[in-house]
Amino acid sequence: MSAFIIRRLLLAIPTLVGVLVVAFLLLYVAPGDPVMAMVGERADEETIARLRAELRLDDPLPVQFGHYVAGIARGDLGRSYITNRPIERDIRERFPKTLQLAGAAMLLATVCGVTLGVLSARRPGGAIDRFGLALAYLGISFPVYWVGLLLILLFAVTLHWLPPSGFGGLRYLILPALALGMRSIAFLARMTRSAMLDSLGADYVRTARAKGLRERVVVVRHALRNALIPIITVLGLDFGAYLTGSILTETIFSWPGIGRYVVNAIARRDLPAIQGSVLFLSAVFVLVNLLTDVAYAKADPRVTYS
Amino acid sequence: MRRSAALLLPLFLAACGGGGGGTDRHTLVDSRDNYDPRSLDPALSTDVPTGRVVSYLFDGLTRFTPDAKVVPALATSWESSPDGSTYTFHLRRGVRFSDGTPFVARQVLASWERVLDPKVRGGRGWPLYPIRGAKEFADGKASAIDGLSAPNDSTIVVVLKEPFAIFPKLLAMPVAAIAPEHVPPDFGEHPVGTGPWRLVQWKHDDYLLFAPNPDWWGGAPKADSLQARIIAEPSTAVAEFQSGNVDVLQIPQGEIADWEEDAERRKLLASTPSLELVYVAINTTRGPLADVRVRQALNYAVDRNTIIRNLIAGRGEPAAGVIPPSLPGAEKTRIGYQFDTTRARQLLREAGYPNGIDVELWTSTNPIYVRVAETLQAYLRLSGIRVKLVQRESAAAREAARKGGTDLFIKDWYADYPDAENFLYPLLHSANKGVGGNVSFYANPRFDSLVTAARREPDEEKRVALYMEADRLAFRDAPMIFLWFYSELYAVQPWIGGFEPPVIFNGQPWTTVTIRTATPQKR
Repeated sequence: MSAFIIRRLLLAIPTLVGVLVVAFLLLYVAPGDPVMAMVGERADEETIARLRAELRLDDPLPVQFGHYVAGIARGDLGRSYITNRPIERDIRERFPKTLQLAGAAMLLATVCGVTLGVLSARRPGGAIDRFGLALAYLGISFPVYWVGLLLILLFAVTLHWLPPSGFGGLRYLILPALALGMRSIAFLARMTRSAMLDSLGADYVRTARAKGLRERVVVVRHALRNALIPIITVLGLDFGAYLTGSILTETIFSWPGIGRYVVNAIARRDLPAIQGSVLFLSAVFVLVNLLTDVAYAKADPRVTYS
Repeated sequence: MRRSAALLLPLFLAACGGGGGGTDRHTLVDSRDNYDPRSLDPALSTDVPTGRVVSYLFDGLTRFTPDAKVVPALATSWESSPDGSTYTFHLRRGVRFSDGTPFVARQVLASWERVLDPKVRGGRGWPLYPIRGAKEFADGKASAIDGLSAPNDSTIVVVLKEPFAIFPKLLAMPVAAIAPEHVPPDFGEHPVGTGPWRLVQWKHDDYLLFAPNPDWWGGAPKADSLQARIIAEPSTAVAEFQSGNVDVLQIPQGEIADWEEDAERRKLLASTPSLELVYVAINTTRGPLADVRVRQALNYAVDRNTIIRNLIAGRGEPAAGVIPPSLPGAEKTRIGYQFDTTRARQLLREAGYPNGIDVELWTSTNPIYVRVAETLQAYLRLSGIRVKLVQRESAAAREAARKGGTDLFIKDWYADYPDAENFLYPLLHSANKGVGGNVSFYANPRFDSLVTAARREPDEEKRVALYMEADRLAFRDAPMIFLWFYSELYAVQPWIGGFEPPVIFNGQPWTTVTIRTATPQKR
């Protein structure tokens, strides 16, 4: 297992190098000049030329790239063109907040989604199953910003139970986590239901029941355990996605996370900030995928990596 | 995203009753910023959130009142030489920075040098360029600013390159604010100023918190604290306002009617004649657009009154020229281009385009401008002008226009200081083609000389007459489709006293604003 993990980590290096190259080149191909964004509405050619020189934007592309890679190799993501703050500090400030939001959304998704899926599978066509189906339709088809605004309207503006937006304690976390996790809840519920239906119909479940095990034990220990693989897949993919791009949720709920940071950086053509966060988020994604694979092996002893 | 938000608005409005008599907060909360300030260093203030914060933490030699008057700040008075090329500023005595350092003339020199210093990477030196030698210093051709001197601790003498009568107005811009002489590298995070507020905390992308400066020369702020929240999504700001969590809201342009038509909400509204021109820059160097008749045809082809009524709920004054009606120099009696397709077609025929023309209209993704662009497309079609819409993310669209790559580009212009010069010169003077702000690439020597003369004219009355004449010329030459002057709409909570919406974005220091708190103070 540890050999597998080490191999995967080594394999991640070329992936990240690829990300680095693409992120660097794409930004030079895309329209929009960072200096133009810096100077605002009114400027003069000399100022622009001077800033370009100061930021070394006039160096040949390979030189700029070399300069950048050398910085990365030293563990330095550089400083923002716009704010002049170190990118690393910006990320360190914002990523924990995104992690918190993504974690809460995943927790909600796991608890609600899996429970709903298991209950639905217990009596297909029953009341819970039909409720779950309706919820899944809504959760999957409603866009997150719409759900987000509805949640704000209901729980904050009308009922005054929770704050509409902002960052703070648990009270601030509930609505954005719900908005973000809604899709996962819906998806997981359906996923769990079908996986559970498969395993509930399997021979080993009949055997377990024949042994006289209590229904709870049959469902949780035998059926659910065997249905875990697709659930982990969904969880892993969604978690990776939430950690790297809950931009809409962060925007709607004024959540000061990494998603808004990236969007602002793009709007201002803040090249080092964009490159640094893309690289960092790619590494996060790779890591989450690796953890997912490890979780497969933990859930199913038949899965081995050698 | 915005469209679905608009669908929800009636629900929002239905959901909330009127505000109560007070709030349980002691902190004033502003919701106007929708992105994090770039820095808190005046030398880096090139965006609105930064400029606003700088006006809380720092002072310039002059400052704006909410209704856009320029009043003494760190300079108590000033006089200019008869030809208007030398200014002597007398500085306020007894002022201290938040770290205790006394304010003296040297700091003015140091602050302005920092703004122009290429190493600081501010990018906005132009407000100081009128000073003799400032541009040379900024370009690295001089080691000091020739026209700047401090004969003693409380006097600054500024020699300008040429007479520039409105120079003191430019000194109220955030970039000209005064910082201490030696600033640490992290000054942008830990600012030290003389302004009415002091920074308590800056949570990036979340909020900035300020405490009153009890010793502020203009009188300490009345409220206990001030919080500037960063709220990215306008609909969220609306919800925060409805929940009573923020005190001042800038109403999104698409949602104006919903507020004005609601009897309860209406009571909270406040507005100001905003110094904002919305227009379509016509690149006067491209194909048929080089012909003035074609540009006039474009102006006749558009029914601006109907657009104003239907797209921005009537909150704009039709533009007939570039000078806002609230500024001296605007010719208020002038009748603008009236919607007349026959006239437009006739002008196109005269210009040699009986079959009409094809043009590209560029717009950013701003939802209001996208709707305006679509409407313009339909109107222009009626006069035989076939428009292809090009929508780009705003930085890309602006850059294309600056490089002369757009036929038509819908945009706006907010004044940095209250003077007609701030419209005529950057938007249409040939010295500012492209990045300077003149994306019409308009170049009329007569117009240039009128504006240049106005800038030099020390006599107010004569200057205004020159502005008027230049504006008349611009109106006739039509280097843009004149649309409207937008009048910003605010909602202010009933428990707030003394908040006057600012005409210039950094014109409201919140010092006289009060908050009526229902629960007693708990400290």
